[in-house]
Parts: sequence; structure tokens; C-alpha cells
Amino acid sequence: MEGRCAVETWAEFRSSGSTCPQRLVYTHGTDVFLCTGDDEVYVFCSERRKVTTVLKFPGPLNDLYGTNEKTPLYAACSNGVYCVCLQSLLSRPQNLSADASTSPAELQISSESLVVPVEGVLSLLPIGSLLVTLSLRDTFWTLTLYSSSKQSEPFQVLGSFSLPVVSGVSHHETEGKTRMKRRPMLIYVCSGDSTPLSSSPTSLDANGHISHFSLEPVLFKLLFGVDAALAKSPVILCGLPDGRLCFLPLRPLGSGLRVLHSLEQSVIFIGASSFLETSGHAQCLVALGEQGRVVQIKVNKAGPEGGRNTAGFTEGCVPGPVMCSCIDKNYLYYSTGSDLLVLDLSEGSNGRKKDEETCNKMVAALQNPSSLNVCRVNTLVELKNTTAGEVQLLSLSVGGQLQRITVPVRKDDGTLSNVPSTQVGKGIRDLLSAIGDVCERASDLKSAIKSKNQILMHLNQVLNISFLLTANSDKHLLVQEKLFRCHAMTSWSRLLQKDFLNLTCVLDNSSPYVLEQGWTLSITVSPLAHSPSAGRERSSTNFSFPFQNLLPGETLEVSLPLTAAADTSFPITVSCSIIFSLSSLLEEEAAKLHGLQSRCISLPLNTLTVDWLQALQVDCSKPTSQFDNTNNAIQAFIDSRRIRCSRRGEVGGESTPKSEPEKYSATVRVSSELLKETLLLKNCDSDPHPNVCLSLLDWLLSEQHEGVKRGQQGDKTAVSNSVIYARGPNGHTIKLTATEGNLKVENTGKEESLTTVEVQIESSSLAAVCGLHHAVLHRVQTLLLTAPDRAASTKSVQSLALRRTLQQAEHLLQQIQQHRISEGFSVGVSRGQMTGPLLRVYRELRENPLLIV
Amino acid sequence: MNQPTSLLDGWIQENNKLVNRSKGREDHVPTRDQHTGPCSADFHKLLLKIQGIPPLADHMQLELTVTYNTCVCFTAQSHFSEAELLLKQATERVLHMTVDDHDASNPLVLWRKVLESAGSVPLKEYVLFLLCLQWAIWLATCQLKTIQEFKDELFSLVETFSSAIGGDRRSEAGSSDSPLLLLDPRWLSEHLRICTAIAQGAERLSEGWSSEALSDLQTASSLSAPRTLLAYTHLLSGSCLAQMSRPQMALQCYRKALETDSQCVSALYQSTLIYRQMGNTQAEIQALRLLHSTLMFPHTTEPTLPGTHLLSPAFLLCSQSLSSLLSVPSALSVLHSLALKCVLHGRLSEGVEYYLDLLAALHSENQHAVHVEVPPLPRLPKLYLEAGAALLMARLPADCMALCDEVSSSTVELLPEMVVLEEQEDRCEAETGACAEDEDRVQILLWATAAYLLQGHCYTHMRDWKQAITHYTRCINLLVMVRFKKTGFPPQIPNADMVTKKGTHLCTLQRLKGLSLAGRGISFTQTSQLREALRDLQLSLQALPECVGAGLWCGEVLWRLGRRLEAAACWEKTWSRTTQSSEESLSIYLHEPQTGPLLDSSELRRRIQELGHPSPAQE
Repeated sequence: MEGRCAVETWAEFRSSGSTCPQRLVYTHGTDVFLCTGDDEVYVFCSERRKVTTVLKFPGPLNDLYGTNEKTPLYAACSNGVYCVCLQSLLSRPQNLSADASTSPAELQISSESLVVPVEGVLSLLPIGSLLVTLSLRDTFWTLTLYSSSKQSEPFQVLGSFSLPVVSGVSHHETEGKTRMKRRPMLIYVCSGDSTPLSSSPTSLDANGHISHFSLEPVLFKLLFGVDAALAKSPVILCGLPDGRLCFLPLRPLGSGLRVLHSLEQSVIFIGASSFLETSGHAQCLVALGEQGRVVQIKVNKAGPEGGRNTAGFTEGCVPGPVMCSCIDKNYLYYSTGSDLLVLDLSEGSNGRKKDEETCNKMVAALQNPSSLNVCRVNTLVELKNTTAGEVQLLSLSVGGQLQRITVPVRKDDGTLSNVPSTQVGKGIRDLLSAIGDVCERASDLKSAIKSKNQILMHLNQVLNISFLLTANSDKHLLVQEKLFRCHAMTSWSRLLQKDFLNLTCVLDNSSPYVLEQGWTLSITVSPLAHSPSAGRERSSTNFSFPFQNLLPGETLEVSLPLTAAADTSFPITVSCSIIFSLSSLLEEEAAKLHGLQSRCISLPLNTLTVDWLQALQVDCSKPTSQFDNTNNAIQAFIDSRRIRCSRRGEVGGESTPKSEPEKYSATVRVSSELLKETLLLKNCDSDPHPNVCLSLLDWLLSEQHEGVKRGQQGDKTAVSNSVIYARGPNGHTIKLTATEGNLKVENTGKEESLTTVEVQIESSSLAAVCGLHHAVLHRVQTLLLTAPDRAASTKSVQSLALRRTLQQAEHLLQQIQQHRISEGFSVGVSRGQMTGPLLRVYRELRENPLLIV
Repeated sequence: MNQPTSLLDGWIQENNKLVNRSKGREDHVPTRDQHTGPCSADFHKLLLKIQGIPPLADHMQLELTVTYNTCVCFTAQSHFSEAELLLKQATERVLHMTVDDHDASNPLVLWRKVLESAGSVPLKEYVLFLLCLQWAIWLATCQLKTIQEFKDELFSLVETFSSAIGGDRRSEAGSSDSPLLLLDPRWLSEHLRICTAIAQGAERLSEGWSSEALSDLQTASSLSAPRTLLAYTHLLSGSCLAQMSRPQMALQCYRKALETDSQCVSALYQSTLIYRQMGNTQAEIQALRLLHSTLMFPHTTEPTLPGTHLLSPAFLLCSQSLSSLLSVPSALSVLHSLALKCVLHGRLSEGVEYYLDLLAALHSENQHAVHVEVPPLPRLPKLYLEAGAALLMARLPADCMALCDEVSSSTVELLPEMVVLEEQEDRCEAETGACAEDEDRVQILLWATAAYLLQGHCYTHMRDWKQAITHYTRCINLLVMVRFKKTGFPPQIPNADMVTKKGTHLCTLQRLKGLSLAGRGISFTQTSQLREALRDLQLSLQALPECVGAGLWCGEVLWRLGRRLEAAACWEKTWSRTTQSSEESLSIYLHEPQTGPLLDSSELRRRIQELGHPSPAQE
């Protein structure tokens, strides 16, 4: 076993789970710039081993670029590019950090350092006084050049070049979701014989190696053309996430962005290596793709017998996936996340001859990286090359640790050097700690697999249930046949001198599946119609009841307050659904799934309606007093006064004040034959001579309707009187009367008589009358559905009357519409004036009740 | 607000809030798309709300105003189809209100109907706003034919707007109870009128109807409009006149355009073309110089009126024929032609200065990108060689050599060992990879040879014959690597019999061969290697029969060798050729050097005469 890498952790940073890539920039001085993927940049002093400054930007950062303490730091933020001069910033507000020795100074970067106010900059690269940015606009990669005469002044656009995005580049399937995070890579190269533009001889790129290479002149000319070489122009190289390597000579501009090569996988890294010690220039360009494809671009030298120089592209493939990479002379270091590997670029390259053998050797070399046994490296930067030949790398791990990795000296034969015996102990310690690392990682993975299995089982169950429910809804099964359903019962209770209507809701699981933990019964209570005075928005209340396990055949009973007395917004719709929360099950996995729109699965069960009849408090006999307690008496008194006053104001005092409030009434006529057939057939055995009126009232008040039943409390004795007094939820007394009688029906000229039952609703409250009328009609409607088919002979359609009624209804509808529109545009008209006509319309509507046969 | 407001008021307020917001933002946001993006969505939402109720007269004004604002946003974002759909819906709703039945699918018919029916209604003004926008869409999508068809209605629209006393509506627009407009329709209609005239003029001009275009343009030039647009009318009038072969009048028009708008560079450029056509070189150089300085001058943008940035003239004038008329080469291109003109017409020192300026500009960091340029700037090595040739003409051989050194050093490593030159006609013009690479290889070779040739000329000029011979030899050695291939035939060494077309690689090659052989021959003459000299000069004449220097020096060598009659014949033959004019179209580094040792023609003639008298019997 050869010498091992020494890993030294310098600091630990909070690793944010955001989608922005981590950035690490090493400058030539002592500072390291770090961004862990959010809007903060840490300035870490490598000498003092501590964070000295924290820069806070207005948004998440895409890219970061700095060379040393003197030159400004560039940052591509979500709303543009910022240029921050650290020295001047730190020197200016001395008062800001009084105890600078202990805690890091925090600096808020303001918009005054915003130099390019353009959104969506993915990568940036300053070259001298120029700034190059790369962004994705629709389906084009757009490279834009900016220039500035002075620092911290807004840059001016020199020109922009675009290249259409190539789709269909194969991605590793697991890497699919991280694809958008990939940042294009930007570097620039110069010809070896031209003077570099920037002040420093070499500068470091965000990914940690020299971003400005001086390339061998021949290679430069072969790749980028004679014009660029003549103009001594730097050439911008960019590696795009769609796999292409493009270049743009800065001078003469106008040749456009051209494609040099395509890796057909996301380009992670571009660099240049100089394996020949003799010349100062790099002899080859290297690019590394996400899945490990490497391309090495070199000059194929002209042989002595003739031929000419050509550019040679050698492709190879290393085991991927590649997370990050950096280069040092002739070694390419890259991390796969589970290991750090090194690739020797010089192997097979020293041969001058261009024969098959060397070519094969090169390809083979490109396929055989050696492992350095360091895992979880996310971002890599070359730190320095010590005099002893050791290479120091700086890395940011997946967990947010800043580490220094020292790669031992390599011998000429390519193997790692033998460690002196004194260091064997240290080597063993390292080895043991590495084994510990791996073991920990393995157990982590095991438990992760276990929990994933559990989640999958759970999800399967959820899927079954959702399938069951959605399949049900397709077939329009009756409520009774549904495997999951809710039914409810109303009951009045008295609390703190106030009456409350409670709803007891029962969830019935008659399916073969267990509703496991994570399911929630959600009940939404909302009035079917809302009164305009109650407020603009529809007031709905949501109740959720999480439950543990609901086995097949079990029921879950929950109770909820429906409404307080005096709240008149009936009928009330109660929608039941069961909700499964994915986020609780998936937790951090869910956070990664960007495509997941909502984190919950909501499956509607059935909808219940609580109408006026179910909200009645029945007093079987005539009430002893109009108002049974003082509280209500006062309330009623106030109400009656108010009605009177308003009426007086409205009519202008024309009518004499009445002592009793106006009674409203409504009637529903049902043919007794129908009732006999439907209602009495059911319970004919109990009573041989049933009274139709009584059984109708009984049915209205106590039968379950649409899954809701009126709770019987105290008044459970069967209805014995054909006149029932009851109290509505708003406290008003309501009189329900059922009378049997004969009605003369005019049918095509001759008169016929028909026995009918007339249900009359009387109350001083208009709302109560309307509500009950609606409720009774609704009941009778369902009754009609269950009625056995009768021969058409009984009654022919009252065609004449029907037509007249229809005309009337149409006329009324028109009136209502007109009122509504004019209401929308009128401010001056009072509400009273508005409601008057509407009330009139309503009364007209009820004037001639249809006979239900 | 506790007071319940009516829907109408609420909508008006919402509209005005959106208008004010977009007007408030217009200073900060740089690009148009970001600016109107959210706004158009908001306006559209509001419009959908309003259209939820049946069309009634009292809120139709509001509805049409919001339609107008929405369409302005859509149009400014180039979402023309959405905007046209909205316009159609709006007109249909107006028709619903006024007449009951309509069944027009043709937009023109629909518009006519609406105008007719809305004539009596107070909505007329608002319908005209919408028509104005429809006009803008037609113009921006270059539907000039439709505009022509609808000419009368559009004209009356402008009349209506201009006759209405200005400011009556606009002054009260500040109050909150009337709906605000995003863009002043009166301003828009005026702009549309002149922009339509310009676009139509350009279209007719490109179709060859110059005289018709001219009359329209001249009426348009008397309208009140921004200077830029007026200058365009003058410019187009000039182009019409130029097409009608009245160059002097055209020049007048261009001058007027420049007087109207000093930034109208196209007028300057068009004048240089006219001067070139007229052969007035001095004026052309003058105009080019002016053009260059104007292009270099920082562009001062006119301050736009508030609220008018949405549909700018540049947005409305997008037709192909107009943009080709308005296009101007880049500053660098102009500088190059200026330099070349100066050198060709004897203003050497100026020309050299310009060339040096050009090279400096090409090396500077802050050059602006020019995307499509017709004609493109020559490749950099060619510019170097031209500059070198100019320097040599200006008798600055050291500087010339420095430039040539750069070219040869940058190309030497890329030189191919052999090049096959295919017949020009069969060469695929498409820029396929292999072809482009081949082309590049040939060009590199030609540049390198030209560099050696110029270096040879320089040494000749400095009377360093040995060095001159070395460089000419290098040049010749490179040239013989080229084989010429006719389709169907094996590659061969090209000779002068082959039909040489101007501008082809073959022509360049032959010239380079002739000139380098001539140069070496002359150098050999100076070192008294007469045999070698005679061989080279004769080969040179073979490659390039019109080479004057080679012809004269060939005679001289023959004379010195005692072959006087042949010498005389050679001289006579050379004089009989009049070739100087053909050089004009060639790159200046392919011109015959005027700097080397010269022979005095009168002296030669005297010799022939002397020869003729004593020995007529010898012939």
C-alpha cells in the first residue's frame, strides 16, 4: 500500500439544501471564498483558520469569481452581477465590527455594487476590463460581453452571441433532477506567445484551477485560427451543460460562437495541462464530462517525412459520475462523491511519434484513474504545490466541511512513493479511520434502504386506496355502496346560555384496506349560499381529524360544532375527504422532488347537506309562550322593533304600525296517492290505518336524508299532531302544518279533483320560511325518485298551466338579471330599494305552488 | 374605503393604477420584455372581467380603453396574434351593441362596418383608438398591402385626431374618474402615418417603382415628425433619385437628410456609394472620413417622450427592404475602405495612417461586436499584408517587414505540404467542414507566400539582394506546392494558359508566382547572375504575361547578354500591353512593386532606335 492522502478539516459550514451549486474560490493570498448554495459568501482566512467576513447578497448566488484580495470579487446573483471590492468595503465601516477579532464581520451587499442588472446570469468571467457572462435565454445560450471604463460603474454591453441549446443529451438517470443545477463552465486561454491581459500571471477559476492558460501557440492556432493568433486575442472557452465545448475569440469580434467539440454529456470541467517541463505553455486541453468522458486535445506533430500539424482529439472514459474536478500540471483530480480519483495525463503523451501504440497507450491511460480514497468531496480547488512535490487540494464536502487534502509525492513510475517507516503508524491510523468512514457510510446506506422500503410499502397502500376511491367516483355508485363513506347526525346542545348545533360525523371503512397512520379525515363546512351581509368571501370552516389505524369494518366517529344559534346560513354543505400527507412520509425526499406540485393527496369521499329541517328544534305542542326565555324575548323584541322601524322608513309611514310582525308562509302540495305509495308502503305493518299527514311530517323530520339525520333529543315521540311548532336555528318559531284536502285541477277543459296533502310553513322569519320551503321541496324531490313507476294514465300533463308557469318563471328570471346588473353599476341606490323588487319577485314565484303528483 | 364603489369605478381605478405603474417603471427597467410582461397579463385579466357582462353603452368606453391598453402591451411584446384577436373581439362587441346581426369574417369588412355603425355613437373615438393599434400591427408585420387597401379610412383617422383640439381629453385625463391610456393615440397615429410612408417608399423602391415612391416620400417629408423619421424620408428620396440615375439630385437629398438628422449615417454611406459611382474619388474619401468619424462618435440617443417607448419607430419599421437600405457597414469596415482608397489614389501617408489605426483598433479590447456585415471585413492576415504593402509604398520597409514577419510566423507552423486547388466552378460553396478547412489551408498558404513576397520587395528596396533572393525563393518554393486540379484530370502545375478569373485563388497564385519570379530575376540581375536572371524573368512572363517589370528587365538582361534584337522585341511587346487598369481590383499586395530598381523607358527607346539605324540588314 502506498502513501495515503492526509485530510484535514478546517471548518464546517451549514450545508443548505437549496438547488444552487456550492462554490469554492481560492485566491492567491490567504483568503478562500465559499458559498454553500445560498445568498451568503464566507471569506475564510486560511492562515487564521477562521471565517473573517460574511457577505450577504440579495439573492442566491449562481457563480462567484475572485482572484485575490486586491481585485474585486464578482458574484452572479439572481438579479444581476455584483462587483464587490473587499478591501474598500472592509476598510470603510470600521465601526461595524467592533470585536472583529472574535466574530466575523457581516456585510450586506447593496444594489450600488450591482454592475450588470440582468437576471439569469449562470456563469461569469472577468478578463481585464471586460466581463463575460453566460445565461440561458429561452432555448439559447447567450454569451454577453461587457466592458467598463471604471470599476464599480455599470458595465456596457459590447456584444452578445447566442447558440441554440441542443436537447437530447443523455443524462445519467439518477442525475436527471440535478441537471438544471449544472453551471456552464467558462475559462479563457491565450496563445503562449502573446502577453496575458490580466495583471496577474495566472488567475484561479471558481472551480479551482488556473482559469487563464497560456496555450502552446501551434495548438492555439490550430484550434482557434490564425486571426485570433495574429490579434493576440484571448479566447473564451465554455463548456455547456448540453455537452458542447465552444469558443469565442475576443478579437476580432464578430466571428461568433463556434463549437470546438461535443462531449455529449454535461461538461464539468475544462483545463489545460503542461506535461513538458521545458516550455511554459500548456500542451493540451482537457475536458471532462459528467459521466466521465474525457477528451484530450493536442497537436499531432508533423512527422519528419512530411505531413503537417493537426489537432488531435483523444477521447477516453473514466468511471463517473463526476462531481467536480481540478488540474495540476499533468494530473487531473476528480471526485465521484464516493471517491477522489487522479488521472495521469502525461502517460503516453511523451511519445513524439504518432503511431498506433502510443495512441492506444493514451486511450488506456485515460481510462485508468487511481483512487485517493477520499469520499464525499463536492467541490475541489488546487491549493498549492509544495516544494517537496506534495499537492495540496482544498475541498468542500457534501456535508459542508472545508478540508485540505494533501496528496503525497508521486514517483516517476506513476505509483505513489513509499512512506518512510516512521510514518507507517500514521498511515495505519489513517487507514483505520478510512475503514471507519466506510463502515459508517455503509450502515447509513443500510438504514436508508430500510426506511425507503417502508415508505414504498406505505405508498403502495395509499395507492390502492386512492385507486379504490377514484374508481368508485367513476362509476357513480350510490353512497350506500361506497367502501369509504361518511354519514352524520345533528344534535342541539346548550352551552353558556347559547344553543349550538353539533354534527356527529361517522367515517365508515368497509373496504378491505387499513387506513394507516398519515391519513387525515378532513371535513369542510361551508354554507351552500351565503348572505351578502355576512361578508364578501365564502366563509368555510375546515376541520381535520388525523387518525391512527382504521381497520376494515371499523368506524371513526368525530363530533364538530356546526353553527351557533342565530346563525342562519342554512343549508350547510359538509364535504368529507380523506387526505394523505406525502411530506410527512417522504420528508426530505419530498423536498428534492421539484416536480411534486402539492405534498398532499386529497381524496373526496362524499358530500353531506344539513338543511333547515335537520336544524329544527321541535316542540311538539304549541309553544307556551312565544319566546321561551328572556334572552330570546329581548332579542325578538329588538328584532320586531327594527323591522317596524325599517318598514316605516321605507314606506314613508303610510301604513299603521302593526302589533305583530308579518307572517310569511309557503306551501307545498303533494298528492296523497304518491305519499301513500312511497311513505306508507315502507311501514304499513306498524300501522294499519296510517294518517298520511302525520307520516309525512314524521318522515320529513326524522328520516335520514343524504346521509344526515336529525338527532332526536327529548322529542323522540312520534309526531302525533298534524301541527308542529319548532324553533329554527335563528330562534324564530316556525309552524309546520300538514292538511289533507281536495284540490280541483283544471285539466284540458274539465275539472278534476285530486286528494292532496298540503304542507304549510309559517313563520315571522323570511329566511326560515325560504329555507324550510327549499328543504321540503328537496325532500319531496328525492321521494319522487324512489317512487315506483306509475302508468302514464293517472294524469296527463297539465300542459296549459305548465306553459304559463314557465313563462312566468322566465319573466321573473329576466327581472332578477336586470336587477343584478344595475346593482353592479349603481352606488346611489340604497340596499332597501334593491331588495324590495327582489322580494316581490320571490313572492310571485311562490304564489302558485306546483302540485306534485 | 367603506363606501361601496360600483364595479365601473373599480375597474377604472384598476386600469389607471396599472397605467401609472407601467409609466412609473419605464425609466428603470432596461429591456422591453421584462417591462410589459406582467403588465399585459394584468390588463388582460381586467379585460376578461369587464367582458363578462354584456356590452352596454355606459361601460363600453372603459372596455375599449382597457382593450387598447392590453393590445399596446401585447403588440410591444410582438404577440401580434393575441392582440389582433382582442381587437376582433372588441369590434364584434361594439357591433353587437349597435347593430344586431353581422357576419363578417374579413377583418377589413369588420372594421368598415364598425366605423360605419359607430359613426353616430360617442364610442367613435375609442373605436378609432383601436383602429390605430390595428394599423400599428399591420405595419409591424409588414402588411403594407392591407394598409394600402384601407388607406382612406386610415387617412380620415389621422384627420380626425389632428382636427380634434389637442389636449382636451388629455388634460382631464389626470383625474381619477376617466380611464387612462397607456399610449397617446394621437402621437401613435402621427408616427404611424410617417412610418407607413417610409415603409411603403422602401417597398416600392425595392420593387423598382422609384418615381411613385418619390412623390409619396416627398409629401411625407413635409409632415411634422421626429427628426430621425424625417431624415429617413429624405434618405429614401435620395435612393429613388439614385435609382432614376440622377446622382446629383440624390446627393442633394442625402445632404438634406444629414441636415435634418446629423446621426443619419446611412445618408453618408449612400453618398459615398454615389461618389464612387461617379468616380469622384476625392469626394468619396472625404465622405468616408466623415462617415467613420460619425460612427466612432458616441451615439447620443434622443430622449424619448414619456409613454412613447412602447411602440418605437424602430419597432414599427422592420421591413427587410428598408433595413437593407438603412444598413451601414461597421466603423472598422469603413476605416478599411478609407485606407484602401487613400493608398490606391496616391494619398499614401494618409492611407498608411488609416491602416495603422485599423490594426490598432483590431487589437483594442473594446471593440463592438458586429453580427452580420456585408461585405465582411477581410481576414486579419490579409489586412496585415495590405498594411504592409502600403507601408512599403510609403517607403517604410522596416515596418512592412515587421508586419510580414507576424504573418509568416503565425502561418509557418500550419503550412500544408501540398495543396490541390480544385476548379473554382466545382467547388461547393456551402460551408461544409471539409471544404472550409481546405479553403483555410489554401488561404494560409497564399498569405504566407504573399508575406515572403513583400519581404522580398522590402529587401529589394533596401538593395539587400542576397536577402531578397532568399525570400523570393521561399515564396517560390511554397508556390510550387500547389497543384491545380480540373475535374476529371490529374492534378498538374498551373500555367498561364489556364483561364484565370479575377479574384480566384488561381489568379492570385499566378500573380504571386509571376511577381516573385520577376523579383528574384531582377535581384539576380543586380548581382550579375544573368543566366539565372533570364530564366526567372522568362518564367515570370510565362506565369504572368502582363508583368511590366519582368518584361522590361527581361529585355535588359537579353541586351546585356548581347541578344539585342530579342531585347528590343521584348521591350516592344511589353509596351504594347496596357495592363495597368486590371490591377485595380486586386489586393494591393499583389500590385507590381514601384519601389525596386527602375529602367528608364526613354533610354530603352533610344537604344532600340540606335539598334534600328546601323543594322536593318540583320533582320
